Amino acid sequence: MTILTGKAETVGRRRPEGGGLLRKIWDHRADYGYVLPAIAVMLIVIAYPIYYTIELSFFATPPGLQLRDKVFVGLNNYTAILTSPVFWTVTKNTLIWTVASTFLSFVLGFACALALHRDFLGRGILRAILIIPWVISAVAASYIWKWIYHSDFGIIGAVLVALGWTDRPPNFIDSVSTVLPSLIVVNIWREFPFAMIMMMAGLQTVPDQLLRAAKVDGANAWQRFWHVTFPHLRNVSTVTILLLAVANFNSFIIPWIMTGGGPSNASHIWITHIYELAFGRQRWGVASAYSVLLFVILMSLGYFYVRALSGNEQKDGAE
Amino acid sequence: MAHVVLNDLVKTYGAFKAVNNVSLTINDGEFVALVGPSGCGKTTTLNLVAGLTSVSSGEIVIGDRVVNDLDPKDRDIAMVFQNYALYPQKSVYKNLAFPLQMRKLPSDEIDKKVREAARVLDMTQLLERKPRELSGGQQQRVALGRALVRDPAVFLMDEPLSNLDAKLRVQMRSEIKRFHQDLKATIIYVTHDQLEAVTMADRMAVMSGGYLQQYDTPAQVFAHPVNMFVASFIGSPAMSLVPVEASTEEGAPVLIGAEGWRLQLSPHNAQKVAKAKTKKVVLGARHSTIKLHKSAVPGSIPARAYTVEPTGDITFVQAFLSGAIVNVSVPPTVAVAPDEQIWLEFDQDRMHLFDGETEMALQAS
Repeated sequence: MTILTGKAETVGRRRPEGGGLLRKIWDHRADYGYVLPAIAVMLIVIAYPIYYTIELSFFATPPGLQLRDKVFVGLNNYTAILTSPVFWTVTKNTLIWTVASTFLSFVLGFACALALHRDFLGRGILRAILIIPWVISAVAASYIWKWIYHSDFGIIGAVLVALGWTDRPPNFIDSVSTVLPSLIVVNIWREFPFAMIMMMAGLQTVPDQLLRAAKVDGANAWQRFWHVTFPHLRNVSTVTILLLAVANFNSFIIPWIMTGGGPSNASHIWITHIYELAFGRQRWGVASAYSVLLFVILMSLGYFYVRALSGNEQKDGAE
Repeated sequence: MAHVVLNDLVKTYGAFKAVNNVSLTINDGEFVALVGPSGCGKTTTLNLVAGLTSVSSGEIVIGDRVVNDLDPKDRDIAMVFQNYALYPQKSVYKNLAFPLQMRKLPSDEIDKKVREAARVLDMTQLLERKPRELSGGQQQRVALGRALVRDPAVFLMDEPLSNLDAKLRVQMRSEIKRFHQDLKATIIYVTHDQLEAVTMADRMAVMSGGYLQQYDTPAQVFAHPVNMFVASFIGSPAMSLVPVEASTEEGAPVLIGAEGWRLQLSPHNAQKVAKAKTKKVVLGARHSTIKLHKSAVPGSIPARAYTVEPTGDITFVQAFLSGAIVNVSVPPTVAVAPDEQIWLEFDQDRMHLFDGETEMALQAS
């Protein structure tokens, strides 16, 4: 009886007949209602700024003019960026920064995860200590490292001199050739715990029985890692690397606070450069054009991230 | 192939003894089942033989070598796991080839052996598939294949069928038995399913609480269980165990039930009871050795039917006797109603008597 009543009601509401898509939308009308508030907020705080940035990227904002008096310049901002030597320096820095930080953080984090996966005395304390760099404020860490690296008062320099390795403390962050590697070291120090936590979680899902089977099959510790553990961690590795890559591409705090992009752009990466163009020099149009390019790059990274995630789900579903 | 000897094997975890002085000899080419309930130490024993767990004391001999301190890979064993333990990222071919690659065999030899194993197990057409594309039965066959390519001295199998559904389990049971017959392989097979042990093994080692209870052929274990645990664990439905009291009336030994009934003992059984150190005796009987009568006959005991379970071929009647439930099987043509008065007659030649205190079987001599 109940079923019959329900049917009559649906008919009474004139459910659209046929038309696959329309009908689907109609069937899920309540679901659209549920996500509407979230979509509205997203439109205001995300979609509109994106639109405005894209719009601004086609305008010049000469100093002295108000933003609303901007001058349309077509693709000039883009051609200016792509032909400027600074763009190529910054891009090169960004690539080195992103690739080196991501790769080395991942390797170091993975190594720590493997070491901490075994049971030994003091493991819990060691794990807690290793997570500290990740949980303390990046701003505070940047200032601390600035002092550690300082060419007059830095502890590294002092130790090197005391050991007799150099006569004068090295100029870690005041020299064009050493500034980027020095900042990358800080960045790795800061984010390897993230990779470590991700990989530790992944390691716990490696089936013990597979490792024992490999042991019986004659695999040594390295072969068990290579043939069982590592393939099992492929998905979590992909996700970790992508998350690190996106975070590194978007880095701001460490380079901005420690060097502000200097000396002579040697530690400028995209985000710090955009920030300086926009808020330092009020060149909103060029900064917006940079942002649009960055947006495109990050969206493609995001695409791979989502694909890696959904790949996981499919696999889990099949098992 | 090789024989395996376990001498006084002990495994302790802190104060807990998982395996207690287990001694076993497994002959070359023999199929031995380690059987017992969960936590009886059977899997630990297998892991000790495999070298996946270190021995606390005792000795393991495979072939003519003491292998206590050898790595699993040097023990010349192959293992089949409960969850198959196939490498999920490798194809069937690569799963089969893996143990050979680890032994650094030349690739043409690996190829030959893998294809031979695939042929024997009838899965040549599956070689390029990934494990997750296979059914449970096929996965188990790949796991067997991976053990087979190694040509090991001993096969160790840890509940290999318990993840399969009932129908497939019966099928794989006969496949593994056939595998053993064709290869004349030495197999140690762990299971909690007594039916698997009884149907497949040449000899079975019944374990409980880390102790080896009995080690004999399934027929012997079935016919002559050494204690009440083995008696109740092996056989389905389980052997009925009825607590009674031994006594002598007018010079004749009898068993007295809680309801007051008397059972005259045959000379052989009387001899067993006479040797007992206690008056508390437990009478054991399998369902097929008890006759059900609808009226009193000499030597029968009155009881009341409790439930009746027709299974098709035979009907099981449960009756209350001396506070225990007694299982009797009757042909389906015999109609018994619950609560009906019945009489039970025990076959004295196939009746078991246990010491009510030590739970050990009573012996005539």
